[in-house]
Amino acid sequence: MAERTLHLNLNLGATGHPRAFIDPQYYAETARIAERGLFDSIFLANISGLRNGVPTQGLDTIIVLTIIAQATEKIGMIGTISTTLNHPYSIARWFASLEHVSKGRVGWNVVTTRNNNEGLNYGFDPLPDRVTRYERAIESIEVVTALWESWQEGAIVDEPGRPAHFDNTKWAPINHVGKHFSVAGPLQLPSYRKTRPLLTQAGGSDEGTGVAARYVDAVFTPELYLDTAQANYRKLKDEAARYGRDPDTISVLPGLTPVIESSDATAQRRRAEQADRAADPAEQLRAFAKWAGVEAAALDLDKPFPIEILPASDPIFGSVGFDNATREYLRHNQHRSVRELLSDGAGRGGHRNITGTPEQIADDIESWFLGRAADGFILSLGRRPRPGSLEDFVEHVVPLLQRKGIFRTEYREDTIRQRFNAPVRSAAAVLATVE
Amino acid sequence: MHVLPERQLHLAVNVLASGIDWRRSGGFTKAFFDPAFYASVAQTAERGMLDTAFLADNSFLHPEGYPNSGLDPVVTLAAMAQATSKIGVVGSYSTTFHQPYSIARVFASLDHLSNGRAGWNVVTSRNKPEGLNYGFSELPSRHARYGRAVETVEIVTQLWDSWQPGALVLDTASGIALNRTLIKPIDYVGEYLSCAGPLQLPPSRQGRPLITQAGGSDDGIQLAARFADGVFTTSLYIEPAREYYTKLKTTAARYGRSPGQVAVLPGIGLVIGATEQEARRRAAEHASLNGAPTGDPVAQFARMIGVNPQDLDPDKPFPLELLKPTGDTYSSVGFDTSTRLYLERNRELTVRELAARGRPGGHRRIVGTPEQIADDFEEWFTTGAADGFVLMLDSLPSGLDLFVDHVVPVLQHRGLFRREYAEDTLRERFGVPYIRR
Repeated sequence: MAERTLHLNLNLGATGHPRAFIDPQYYAETARIAERGLFDSIFLANISGLRNGVPTQGLDTIIVLTIIAQATEKIGMIGTISTTLNHPYSIARWFASLEHVSKGRVGWNVVTTRNNNEGLNYGFDPLPDRVTRYERAIESIEVVTALWESWQEGAIVDEPGRPAHFDNTKWAPINHVGKHFSVAGPLQLPSYRKTRPLLTQAGGSDEGTGVAARYVDAVFTPELYLDTAQANYRKLKDEAARYGRDPDTISVLPGLTPVIESSDATAQRRRAEQADRAADPAEQLRAFAKWAGVEAAALDLDKPFPIEILPASDPIFGSVGFDNATREYLRHNQHRSVRELLSDGAGRGGHRNITGTPEQIADDIESWFLGRAADGFILSLGRRPRPGSLEDFVEHVVPLLQRKGIFRTEYREDTIRQRFNAPVRSAAAVLATVE
Repeated sequence: MHVLPERQLHLAVNVLASGIDWRRSGGFTKAFFDPAFYASVAQTAERGMLDTAFLADNSFLHPEGYPNSGLDPVVTLAAMAQATSKIGVVGSYSTTFHQPYSIARVFASLDHLSNGRAGWNVVTSRNKPEGLNYGFSELPSRHARYGRAVETVEIVTQLWDSWQPGALVLDTASGIALNRTLIKPIDYVGEYLSCAGPLQLPPSRQGRPLITQAGGSDDGIQLAARFADGVFTTSLYIEPAREYYTKLKTTAARYGRSPGQVAVLPGIGLVIGATEQEARRRAAEHASLNGAPTGDPVAQFARMIGVNPQDLDPDKPFPLELLKPTGDTYSSVGFDTSTRLYLERNRELTVRELAARGRPGGHRRIVGTPEQIADDFEEWFTTGAADGFVLMLDSLPSGLDLFVDHVVPVLQHRGLFRREYAEDTLRERFGVPYIRR
């Protein structure tokens, strides 16, 4: 069995400086720093609209992926593209093109769009319901994969000393006719060598887990606690095995926000400061109530959160994954008052937040990795001079992980698939799997 | 016609991967999916001070011959923008297959990446196999496609304008990034499309990307006259080219635009040699490297113009009455008009002779010396037939090297073409600065 290696991925939001969301150079530089830290990949979330708050996503995802591909040599790059808002022929062509620019280092994070504001930018009022969106997502994966396979090797014959030859019998149409799409194919370009883009997905709901276990190579999960993370990890791997897959070829990557401090004392001080920043408790309470989906008036600052008032998950526009994470968080914190919960900050975002010294963070990562709660992480890290920056992580945490023997000391693989131990599976093989 | 000294030719290079250079072993044999090919051509064009690189695009694989394009234009344009610093990057993106929000975001992003050098060529897609890749068993009618195109351009331009000046605050001290009162939704509801907006990024340095269009049909001329900063045309002969030129500029004036605000750029095929003989030899060599055409040339000729081969007598002139009226869903009015004109002007040739000359109609081609090419450009440019050209070299990159090294200096010597890039943005170069209304 191949040696199991931690997978570290950077969730690259444009948070470095106010202009970052329209600054190509910011993306190029940040990717190069992550590459210096031997990260597996850069991950790009994607919102197709302008949100409230500081803008974190402006430049088009395909263009940012091209920028990163040209600015780096080894690190992977995974971009989020919605199957609700985009056509599979376009998706297949974008990512096949990016494979050639990056030489086999690109990944497609498959999502459905559940935010109505994004739908309104694309003529949806309302968005298709959750079931339709999932069907469309699955059919998109099938069409895209078939298009990537529509060429055989060797269409271009280039032998020294004679004119190159183009063999235009090396492709075949796919003639897909499904419930949501009809696509004739073939794609208008061949794949990069024998590889294909990596497929990833954000997991959470039961349907999501099923789709992930069958189709994708890595799953991003919102996990706050070791025990539930371990249970979900086992569940996904077992399900993958039921689809006839080697469980080691699908990676589970929980979100993690490490806040690095140089010593225990300063870490505690930083936490205390965060709590003190409760400048306006009423405003904080309103934000907290909104996050939980309840009325602020129903909460008492000095009492625990009354779990029974939580609304049921919205099966259409909600994210079951994040709702479950919210529930888990509140259940784990029933002994604490709402006032205490207010100071937890980013930990409530559905992704875990750990504050500590480099050693403490490395130990935590190791325990999740060895404890089979995670195969790696998707890390949210800012840039210097913010505390807990990517630069700090690369300089102080990565060496500790290497010393523990769980993280690479050099890039050994060329393609993102090799790095994730995710061999290409043919569309036919995937379709043939039945649970 | 008096030529203002500041009026300069506008030259674009159509970056097509076909041609013959790909057959050179060890060269760009994978040109249609090789990012390095596109970067290299863009850099050569920049060495020659060309206005812009231009990407035509179809969303299907042509079943015959070496493909013109493979990589997605979004990726190719981004790669070319990163490989250059002055030249424009203009690409076709279909209004039939893509949502306006995507188009607006993509080209605004390219405009930021290139620092104000991006352009969108509005196309409606007319090839049946493209439709089949996007779920259309039949493409919408020409009229419906143009209706959607007009709405798309309206939405895209409104999205580009959805951030008013001052919206981007970027105050690091206060942490305030945006002035949201200056960012407005567009709430567009049309017959074909709707879009709420606003866009998620501000305008770039040139205000908004350049808009170009290939307008041969009446619908196309209206769209171009209304919205386009540049028009790519198909013109075989100079007199009809002047008529088109006048018609387009007059129509633009009816939309309240000045004639200088829309540049007319006919496509021109070029085979360049130091002498005419050398140019002809290059053309012949390329033809032979392409291999002898297979099949009956008369049948191929018939297929190219869409008539039944059995209706043709190879030894008689072409019966013009066989030509169908143009304008159906899958035709190009520009190309059809050009074909009809070509056949009308060559009535003395037999069908067999016509077939031996290759493609009927389409773009004009010059096989000749730099001086001959410069003479031709000068005549078209100074007599109201063109503001510049879209260069279709016989092969890339070798044909472009010849153009840059041998034709550009002649044009510069005659004062028709710039010796250096004076402007930073593509809009400034085309003399169409964006003024917010």
